[in-house]
Amino acid sequence: MSRLFEHFGAEGKGYAQPSPMLPATELDLPSNMVRKQLPRWPRLSEPEMVRHYTWLSKRNFGIDTGFYPLGSCTMKHNPRVNEVVAQLPGIADIHPHQPEHQLQGLLSIYYEMQDMLAICAGMDAVTLQPVAGAQGEFTAVRCFQEYFRHRGEHHRTKVIVPDSAHGTNPASAAMAGFEIIEIPSQEDGRIDLSALRAVVGDDTAAMMITNPNTLGLFEQDIAEASSIVHEVGGLMYYDGANFNAILGRTSPGLMGFDAVHYNLHKTFSQPHGGGGPGSGPIGVKEHLAPFLPSPIVARRAPTDDEKKQCVDDHWYTWHTPEHTIGKVQQWHGNAGAVLRCWAYYRRYGKELRTMSEHAVLNANYLRHAIHREAKAAGVDHLFVDGADTIVAKHEFTLSLGPAKESLGISAMDVAKGLLDMGYMAPTVYFPLVVPECMMIEPTETESKETLDTFARDFCKVLQLDAETLHNAPTTTPVRRVDEVYAARNLCLRHPFDDD
Amino acid sequence: MVDQLPNLGREEEMLKEMGVASIDALFADVPESVRMVGDLPLPDAQSEEELLADAKRLLGANLALGDQPSFLGAGLYRNFVPSCVFQLVTRGEFLTSYTPYQPEVSQGMLQAMWEFQSLISELIAMPITNLSLYDGSTAAAEALTCAVRVHTRKAEQKDTVYISELTPPDRVSVIHNYCQGAGIKVETLRHDENGCINLDDVERARGSCAVYVEQPNPLGIIDGGYPSLKEIIGDKTALIVGVQPVSLGLLEAPGNYGADIVIGEGQPLGSPITGGGPVYGIFGCTQPYLRLMPGRIVGRSIDVDGKEAYCLTLSTREQHIRRHRATSNICTNETLIALMGAMHMSLLGPEGLEQLAVRNMAACTQLKRQLAGVEGVTLPYDGQSHFNEFVVELPASTSACLAYLEANGVVGGFDVSNWYAEKTNQMLVTVTDQTSQRDLDRLVDCLRAWAQEVSA
Ligand SMILES: Cc1ncc(COP(=O)(O)O)c(C=O)c1O
Repeated sequence: MSRLFEHFGAEGKGYAQPSPMLPATELDLPSNMVRKQLPRWPRLSEPEMVRHYTWLSKRNFGIDTGFYPLGSCTMKHNPRVNEVVAQLPGIADIHPHQPEHQLQGLLSIYYEMQDMLAICAGMDAVTLQPVAGAQGEFTAVRCFQEYFRHRGEHHRTKVIVPDSAHGTNPASAAMAGFEIIEIPSQEDGRIDLSALRAVVGDDTAAMMITNPNTLGLFEQDIAEASSIVHEVGGLMYYDGANFNAILGRTSPGLMGFDAVHYNLHKTFSQPHGGGGPGSGPIGVKEHLAPFLPSPIVARRAPTDDEKKQCVDDHWYTWHTPEHTIGKVQQWHGNAGAVLRCWAYYRRYGKELRTMSEHAVLNANYLRHAIHREAKAAGVDHLFVDGADTIVAKHEFTLSLGPAKESLGISAMDVAKGLLDMGYMAPTVYFPLVVPECMMIEPTETESKETLDTFARDFCKVLQLDAETLHNAPTTTPVRRVDEVYAARNLCLRHPFDDD
Repeated sequence: MVDQLPNLGREEEMLKEMGVASIDALFADVPESVRMVGDLPLPDAQSEEELLADAKRLLGANLALGDQPSFLGAGLYRNFVPSCVFQLVTRGEFLTSYTPYQPEVSQGMLQAMWEFQSLISELIAMPITNLSLYDGSTAAAEALTCAVRVHTRKAEQKDTVYISELTPPDRVSVIHNYCQGAGIKVETLRHDENGCINLDDVERARGSCAVYVEQPNPLGIIDGGYPSLKEIIGDKTALIVGVQPVSLGLLEAPGNYGADIVIGEGQPLGSPITGGGPVYGIFGCTQPYLRLMPGRIVGRSIDVDGKEAYCLTLSTREQHIRRHRATSNICTNETLIALMGAMHMSLLGPEGLEQLAVRNMAACTQLKRQLAGVEGVTLPYDGQSHFNEFVVELPASTSACLAYLEANGVVGGFDVSNWYAEKTNQMLVTVTDQTSQRDLDRLVDCLRAWAQEVSA
């Protein structure tokens, strides 16, 4: 083990820095504000520090390590040039309060991204300020709220979500103060229009839904769902976490949505190691545009003076929407993430559609390959499709229900078995509507060979006996971690002897 | 594009094997009425080289602050990030991972985050720290809603919180957005002429759910009145203190003067300012807030062999389990930037942090001294101690001053009239460990010359 807090460099020694302009004795602090004891941090030299974090990195699995079919998370390759771009001083070393003539490059890129995202989603206006998908959801429902207030429709207090929705949907709407109405899905996992009809009314503010849904199925009745909600005066919200499936083939705008968030860190590949950072812009139709957070980027013809500083034929400027809800993040969102996603987008341009097509091709191919290999290996009775469909979109679900019933092998057991085979496990137990669910999303950046090999290895895992799988994994840095122990014996920081 | 898709050109082969006629057939379930027809009206794909050339051209048109003396801060602070931090954080095993749902293959990030929690807990003197919120502003907002969840039932002033009137308007706006959904009333606390909080006014906050202040405050003042706050507001009201983490190499940790929740903009530790994001929000608290706090948290545990191991814990507060009853909607957070913070802290060590704080404060003190000799420029809060920044009162409008400075190759400070419209002649001047004596001299010379010019 390498532990950070077990590095005991000599006291008084620390990271070498230039001398301060004045000695500490000349600094004047209120006496009751002087720190009495420095933080009990460890003391590491650079070689120790580098070795510690390198050791840690080797105990971590990323896309670079191997196949990462984590459903709903779109774990695609992160192009490295994007990291180079994000470290250029023109992004790393700029301040959001600099005047706009000093930031024309950034503003032009923001404008380009707003425009591109609006086109791809069939929306009229975009803000890049929200810094994650969940914050995009929250921002959009706040805009809905102000929109209704503006129209005097204070009675619209309810937000409808299908039971297959991601947890952030109801959580975000509840944070904005809405009451949540959850409706059951149909047997086949798709939206139940009669259940929707039964709950909509005068008090409906919005419906939040993702399409393809969390089972990887395209909701064919989506236009109908939109009109049901619109007929009662509600708004339609598109959770864009699954945008990778449809980009260039259809759009939330075409499906009748009023607002959408994009998980740029998924679809546009901003690395989010360990769980973030992300970027969650939202796009809206014209009627909601006046409520967007401020500022967004607009452009106009430059004045003669401005022409010297232009990056193209336009002058880019911050614009405050007329009835803005204000800010959801203190600055201009995750500018560095937006930049990386811009770099990602530029390498596809109008061929973004090919990206989605390959995401869907790969998902369907993998689904096919798993069934093919399972038949060959005689394990096809141990799982069923999570949903009965001819084609999936960018991801698909399997239910390990039969394995659980006949052999006592759970989706979690199979997941742990896959870790031993050198894979990241698919998402398990989500969506909740599929028993013993395994949700698999290969993304477009995996080769046919990787998919074939994974399909075979998946079946090899299913051929293992229950006891072996209950004991898996055995080849990982640690074996199954006791989450109950962690919760009962809370240890959330390094315990010092003198605490 | 062609270099990003391994199966480009192999579509036929794969489709044939599946028995599917075409790519179109894979989208047959998309009803015709909602299909997009034609190509996306977007430009052609670029190669890596073309992209890089465009990126350099466009980003080169931005004025990078390192290119000239600069004095802009107001919540973000230019710092030096040691080379190791970039080298290590871009290791693919860290960079390309995600939320550690499978702890057995995510021990590296989990342990690094547990260490991050340990480092920050020590820094702010709080027993509990989560592994980051989006930024300082959302951390402040979530601290307030968390405090309401904990206290409102027994509070005399239900659903009411008090924030310092100096809280920057952009941050207040975030707070309002987060609070209004929960029906929280946000009141403000007054400050005295000298820029410090009016302790008598704080009495009003007794019986409310929370008080929020920042140290140093948004005018850069180190407020010596804060140790009295907890006693004034009592146990049933949360004291929330926002910090600039580097300052804690010199300043007392809020946990040692009664804070219940400590939040902060983590950026100065480990991250370049990057136009304001990604940065990371610090959130730490005491025991009573633990089960109602937002965000992910890592616990130390054991594996089936009894070996030390780490995993996410207390997840029953979170959206994926609790859905609309979750304590927050946060899912994707800022872990990778927090990791940069952890790396920076582990290189600094306690004395390194202290020295970094001294350098920041020394530069600030030095500039104050130099400006004291400039005719026409006054320091309205001169009697106070400052960290990183302070307000200067100018003989003419700040916008005129900023234009003059820019014409002379200096990026001036923050125009305070952006916060308070009536303060047209005030500038918040920021220095950090990256400010040199030469930068200070340049600013002082320019201000002197400009002040003479406008008074003539
Ligand atoms: C379907 C779905 N919706 C919403 C989200 C929330 O997005 P984020 O994690 O960026 O906040 C996610 C991601 O985790 C998701 O998979």
